[in-house]
Amino acid sequence: MKFWGIRLVSILVAVGACFALQGLTGHWSDYAQRIVVLIGLYVTLAVSLNLINGITGQFSIGHAAFYQVGAYTAGYLTLTYFNSPRVQGMLHGLPANSRLTIWLLLMIIVGALAAALAGLLVGLPSLRLKGDYLAIVTLGFGEIIRIIVQNQQALGGSYGMNVTPKYESIAVIWLLAIICIACCRNLLKTAHGLPFLSVREDEVAGQAMGVNVTRTKVTAFLIGSAFAGAAGALLAHFEGFITPATFGMDVSFIILTMVVLGGTGSITGSVIAAALLTYLPEYLRGFKGADGNALSLSGANVVAWMVGVALAVGLIRWVMQKHVESKGKRLGFYVGAIVAGAVGRIVGNLVFAHIAPLQDKQIPIDQVRMVIFAVVLIVIMLLRPQGIFAHHEFSWSLVRRLFKREEVPHTAVSV
Amino acid sequence: MRPAPTAAGNTATGNTIVVGMVSSLNGDLKPWGDDSAKGGQLAVEEFNKMNPDGIGGKKIDFRIADSNSKPEQGKSAAEKLMSDGAVAIIGEVASGITAQMAKAAFDKGVPVIAVGATRTDLTDIGTNVFRVCYTDAFQGPVMAKFAYDELSKKKAAIITDIKQPYSVGLSQSFKDAFVKAGGTIVDEESYNSGDTQFSGQLTKVKAANPDVIFMSGYFNETGPLARQARDQGIGMDVPLLGGDGWDSREILNSGGAAILGSFFCNHYNNKETRPEVTDFLKKWKAKYGTEPGTTMGALGYDGTMLTLQSLKAAKGPDSKDLIDALENTENFPGVSGSISLKGMGGSPHKRALVVELTKDGQVFRKAYEWNDIYPATAAPNTP
Amino acid sequence: MTTALHLVAGLDFNTLPQQLVNGLLLGAIYALIALGYTMVYGVLKLINFAHGEVYMLGGYVALFVSYYLGFRPDKVGPTHSSIWNLLIMLVACMVICSLVGVAIERFAYRPMRSHSRIASLITAIGVSLLLQYGGALFLPNSPPPSISELVNPYHGQSKDFTLVAPPASLKATVDSLKPASDLAAANYKSWLDSHPGADTYNLPKDGDALKHAAQDAKGKYEDAQHKLDTGGVRLIIQTGQAVMLISTIVLMGALTYMVLFTKRGRAMRAVSHDFDSASLMGVNVNSIVLFTFILGSSLAGAGAMMTATFLGTPLTTFYGLVPGVKAFTAAVLGGIGNIPGAVLGGLLMGMAENLVVWAGYSNYRDAIAFVVLIIVLLFRPGGLLGSSKVEKV
Repeated sequence: MKFWGIRLVSILVAVGACFALQGLTGHWSDYAQRIVVLIGLYVTLAVSLNLINGITGQFSIGHAAFYQVGAYTAGYLTLTYFNSPRVQGMLHGLPANSRLTIWLLLMIIVGALAAALAGLLVGLPSLRLKGDYLAIVTLGFGEIIRIIVQNQQALGGSYGMNVTPKYESIAVIWLLAIICIACCRNLLKTAHGLPFLSVREDEVAGQAMGVNVTRTKVTAFLIGSAFAGAAGALLAHFEGFITPATFGMDVSFIILTMVVLGGTGSITGSVIAAALLTYLPEYLRGFKGADGNALSLSGANVVAWMVGVALAVGLIRWVMQKHVESKGKRLGFYVGAIVAGAVGRIVGNLVFAHIAPLQDKQIPIDQVRMVIFAVVLIVIMLLRPQGIFAHHEFSWSLVRRLFKREEVPHTAVSV
Repeated sequence: MRPAPTAAGNTATGNTIVVGMVSSLNGDLKPWGDDSAKGGQLAVEEFNKMNPDGIGGKKIDFRIADSNSKPEQGKSAAEKLMSDGAVAIIGEVASGITAQMAKAAFDKGVPVIAVGATRTDLTDIGTNVFRVCYTDAFQGPVMAKFAYDELSKKKAAIITDIKQPYSVGLSQSFKDAFVKAGGTIVDEESYNSGDTQFSGQLTKVKAANPDVIFMSGYFNETGPLARQARDQGIGMDVPLLGGDGWDSREILNSGGAAILGSFFCNHYNNKETRPEVTDFLKKWKAKYGTEPGTTMGALGYDGTMLTLQSLKAAKGPDSKDLIDALENTENFPGVSGSISLKGMGGSPHKRALVVELTKDGQVFRKAYEWNDIYPATAAPNTP
Repeated sequence: MTTALHLVAGLDFNTLPQQLVNGLLLGAIYALIALGYTMVYGVLKLINFAHGEVYMLGGYVALFVSYYLGFRPDKVGPTHSSIWNLLIMLVACMVICSLVGVAIERFAYRPMRSHSRIASLITAIGVSLLLQYGGALFLPNSPPPSISELVNPYHGQSKDFTLVAPPASLKATVDSLKPASDLAAANYKSWLDSHPGADTYNLPKDGDALKHAAQDAKGKYEDAQHKLDTGGVRLIIQTGQAVMLISTIVLMGALTYMVLFTKRGRAMRAVSHDFDSASLMGVNVNSIVLFTFILGSSLAGAGAMMTATFLGTPLTTFYGLVPGVKAFTAAVLGGIGNIPGAVLGGLLMGMAENLVVWAGYSNYRDAIAFVVLIIVLLFRPGGLLGSSKVEKV
């Protein structure tokens, strides 16, 4: 009972937080609001991909396809039919200001269903395909969808499609994220989730134990793609405009990166990574140097930084592999590695400054941010390949453990 | 009818006036975005030299944001600039991005001065949308008229870059005009920007026996397209035509001998003797070392200079007055030609220059005025 | 005969041989890149996402070598090239790309070997992004430079094969139109001679009328000429493209020899079959992995040098992405880890793409590669030459 009490409170707090967020950010600039929205959408996308990749162990790298299917389906229907007399007639009985909301909720479901259908199309062949083959099929599927949409004049082609009326609701977007997280978490932590995990760990053994592998895999794809489609529907209505270029391969890769960086199989990890990787490039965009203007580095600076980072990472890896007993000594080594990296950078700066073309080349931070992104990615993978959160999750019991410091029996299953 | 924005726009407070520019500094459109940004910066420098005290005692705070060649990021960049107080947004070089920026700016009541966006219905978004270049509704018919009347070509093949909205729009515009003039389109093929192999499409084009080929894409692919076209056996008696997307220093190098004798539509020509052009080239060379790679350098310069001069002429340093000042522009002496916006619905009736690519670069051949294509139209910007 | 029947269901069979040849050439390039993917996958079970960027760097190496050889865009350089220039560029590309591949393996992939495959994949994506965006900071990117066509000693040369001659009536038409064209041209010319300095784009009425008469007559003549050109079945092969194809075959032959008949190659196959057992049997797996990367990267470098030189591809640091994905698709199509499979997959994809264009759907060209892949995998889940066994309990 106590268990349910905490649950209920958590749910109410989460839902309340969504509306609170909407209220809080209502006065923020468009730009800032957009970042909050994007984080919410990417959280949904990352967690839903995690269900397929991390929890069920299927190698799906074309998630943007489902995002796109949901966006275009919902967007097209709203654009074409919302203002039609039939729909207006059907909505007539409802109070005026809730008509669009009801329609939007309907569109979310429609987008999710369309994407789920796509997920089914992709999921079925997956039954016969091994890991890397499935990967390229999912990627290819994403490209096929993008190219088909690009060629449809009815969907705007490469110009893109405007979606009117817009519906800009941060609360709904974050509600979807919360629902997605809750759904996946519940799937993972209950008996329903065990078939998914068994498919991930050892398909053959699972099948021998009576798990319906086919059904599990397909279900994973359906749920994962449905959430992505719902996110897509929300994107279409928030932006009021979608184009095939928004859903390219690079988006699929970014979502995959979020999942792996956070730790495949860790929902918490996906959430944090999604937030970080969405926010970081934007933060770097406007990063200001000492003089208050957008930071600009010289070519020599950039190369020196790379040398410093490479040095530090190399040393840290060396320390990681060395067997050092005392924790303090280990920490000391890590600090030493970072210091060495910093020294390397300073030395690099001095050395490279003499190479005229490098020194003269001014590179604004805007252009460096993607390089920083790539470097962060590589560094985290080299230093912590299991992802930031590995298999761990945030949970109330974790919090309790941190506060209570009692002897908690170590069970085989981590909660 | 163009709707008027209801929002109040931004007003410059403090002792600076923030003027924003969105440019594709990364991605597919980098060559144009870079030039546009450089042109903008040059204009700001020149303006500051001429007006050391700024406008009404306020200095210009010129900020450039990257759109990464993507419409959503362009929109987000514009929104950030506006939230930082920009009273105007200059840019972009492509219509897809500019459309999104313009919509966001419309919601805020801030004017957008497009640099190289030629899509015709852009200015329909609102009375806050202006541009310093001509439209596709003009460019397409110019090339069609040139092909049909000037070169006496009756059968055209069209090769479109379907990934770029600019190319799709221009191809359509050319097609409509060419057919209207009496010509036939014998084949239409497409590719995606970034492709390097076009032999399949070109074999088909050759089999259709065109006497002219219209390539509406950007110069990156036009060079290899030309080379591979000649390799496939399409002789030099079939000239290649294009739009302003061809404009670049590199096109002669990447097209080689295959592209000599081709024609495309440009905004101005580096070899013009007009004082605005020679001055501009001198200043650009002094600051950046070489000539501008594309016409976006001049257009970015014109767009920024026009905005700054209009700010100076405006009643107050705010968006609404700036929109009025821009709307009243008459005969602004741009590098890319004389720009008048009064009563034009946001799009100036600029001259189009058809140039030929020769060993020595772009050689001016024929100029087309608005009235050559649309004789004495009553409503501006409607063909 | 052919003019009447060649159009069946909208498909022009006269151009089919040419399209097949086009497809072969395109496929050869895909095959070269796909080999790199397939070999690395065979040995490490890793999708080397950065392989496309190795290809991209190969193009830049070729560019800089061509500058060094004197073919700069802003200077007047040599007017002729020789096969030695090509060989220098080829060797340089292969060597430097190998070095880059080795560096990537040593510093980014080897540390990840003991970890999950998906972690290696993300690292590969990170390296790919680093090369693309890092390269964009330092390499000439906008406007995209391309190698001068003068570097290609065979540029402009081609061989023309007439497989089926056009009907004689077409030639007769051409001949009949020539006199009128010549006459009109002569009239116009004499007008121009008597009006020196006239702007041919802004002529007075009489000159203009003559000009248009000349153009119309010439147009009719040229149109008849075009119809004659395309009336039969012709095959045009650029000498440069033939060289490309032959070089590709030679390179693939060399690779096959190395894999099948040398000790190193045998070790590579052993590692590919079972990494752990091979190392237990005394194979120096690290050295073999390096060897694999050298082979794959140098092939990619060779491919890049050829497309940049013979096809005039404009170089940006992002231009390796699409060929990389397509080549990877080709490798999977043939059965990933299978060397002949990669070649077969590459050729199949090149053919499929061109046939789609031939059928009139050039706007779906990129999608067809994946459609073919999905169809093949439906029937053969291990790829064309891979195993089609599905593990069952």
